[in-house]
Amino acid sequence: MIAAQAAPPQSGRPFSVGLLFHLEPGWHVYWQNAGDSGQPPTIQWSLPPGFRAGAIAWPTPTRLGKGSVIDYGYESQVLLIAPIHPPASRKSGQTDAVEIAADIKYLICREICIPAKAHATVSLPLSGDAAKQATQWRTLFERTESQIPKRLPSDWKVVARSNADNFVLSVRTAAPATQASFFPLDQNVIENSAPQSFAPAKTGFQLTLKKSDLLAKPITALRGVLVLEGNPAYEIAAPVIQQ
Amino acid sequence: MKRHFAASLTAIVLLVLATSLAWAARIGDPAPNFTATDTNGQTHKLSDYAGKFVVLEWHNRGCPYTQKHYNSGNMENLQREWTGRGVIWLTVISSAPGKQGFVTASDENAYVKQVNAAPTAVLLDPTGTLGHLYDAKTTPHMFIINPQGTLIYNGAIDDRPTADRSDINGAKNYVSAALEQALAGKPVTTPTTRPYGCSVKYPD
Repeated sequence: MIAAQAAPPQSGRPFSVGLLFHLEPGWHVYWQNAGDSGQPPTIQWSLPPGFRAGAIAWPTPTRLGKGSVIDYGYESQVLLIAPIHPPASRKSGQTDAVEIAADIKYLICREICIPAKAHATVSLPLSGDAAKQATQWRTLFERTESQIPKRLPSDWKVVARSNADNFVLSVRTAAPATQASFFPLDQNVIENSAPQSFAPAKTGFQLTLKKSDLLAKPITALRGVLVLEGNPAYEIAAPVIQQ
Repeated sequence: MKRHFAASLTAIVLLVLATSLAWAARIGDPAPNFTATDTNGQTHKLSDYAGKFVVLEWHNRGCPYTQKHYNSGNMENLQREWTGRGVIWLTVISSAPGKQGFVTASDENAYVKQVNAAPTAVLLDPTGTLGHLYDAKTTPHMFIINPQGTLIYNGAIDDRPTADRSDINGAKNYVSAALEQALAGKPVTTPTTRPYGCSVKYPD
């Protein structure tokens, strides 16, 4: 576990900690929706009294596997960042050490899968080698933050039309797009292995997504991450219109 | 010219097949018929079991999720309970030759004996034909077919998607729940769930 800031935590100023997964070639860990198989990592935080951890900011995953079983996850390296909120009662100038620990359960797969556990700790303010490395970590945090899906620009519009077999996701953008792909946040909504067909439109584009055979009842919003060419990624929750 | 015509015909046939495959395993639809060979060289057709409930269980003994249910005895107990109540339980291995989890018939028979498993039969599917027919994604991945040949359950074995054996106690077993309801003549309240486990190791 690593921290981006070297300074002591201050009241009212959340800071980021990250769990860095270094993966051997060919191995992967999973996104928050693992896809057809696999399981995302889970984190149990141990924080000093009054401190609170926020949700992980998942970077945009990649499609893993081929054929009829498609997963979503990360290869080679991924930093999972979470914000830590210090308590309001913390006095300014308070410099006592803050110990942060995480118990991580994760599944790591290549052809086989291995369920694994890890325990990681960091102490703030950083000292010694950790303090020396803080600058280097900052670069890694910034790079990772650029890979975290953003909110959709306010002048863009998304809507999903639901027909018998597909969700047709219409996206109205500011500029024409040439390519897009969608990662579903919820399981059993779209068929992960089905091709996503892209069609440019005058004011944006349409993406046709095959419904999952396991989709049991109608959904009201199609939630997920939309990745455009050049890799800007946006978090969307497209209202679903039944047709 | 004639050759081209033949070639395009083939393509059309393949497309139609692919479409029917993708539709094959929907709840409430007729479950696709299959012919497969078990570890004792016996041939099994789904249609042989008309009039009975059939459970299909995708299996890979090297997968930690499968191990969760086998090393704990959970899967063997389910097999014993349900075959004892007249259900046909077919374990299916779709790992391709050279892929993780591929087994020979004699090797699998030794394993079944060793862990005291009690399926009706273990079907060997090294080409992945049966797996693709049902679109089996994970090990385990469970399907239930009713006596009329209709698919009534497609999904996970239970509601705890972990490889942790301690999660079996207190888990809701979807397969048993569906079979209990169906045997009592009731509709299955949870006919689909997301299967969990390792990916099926199909041929490339």
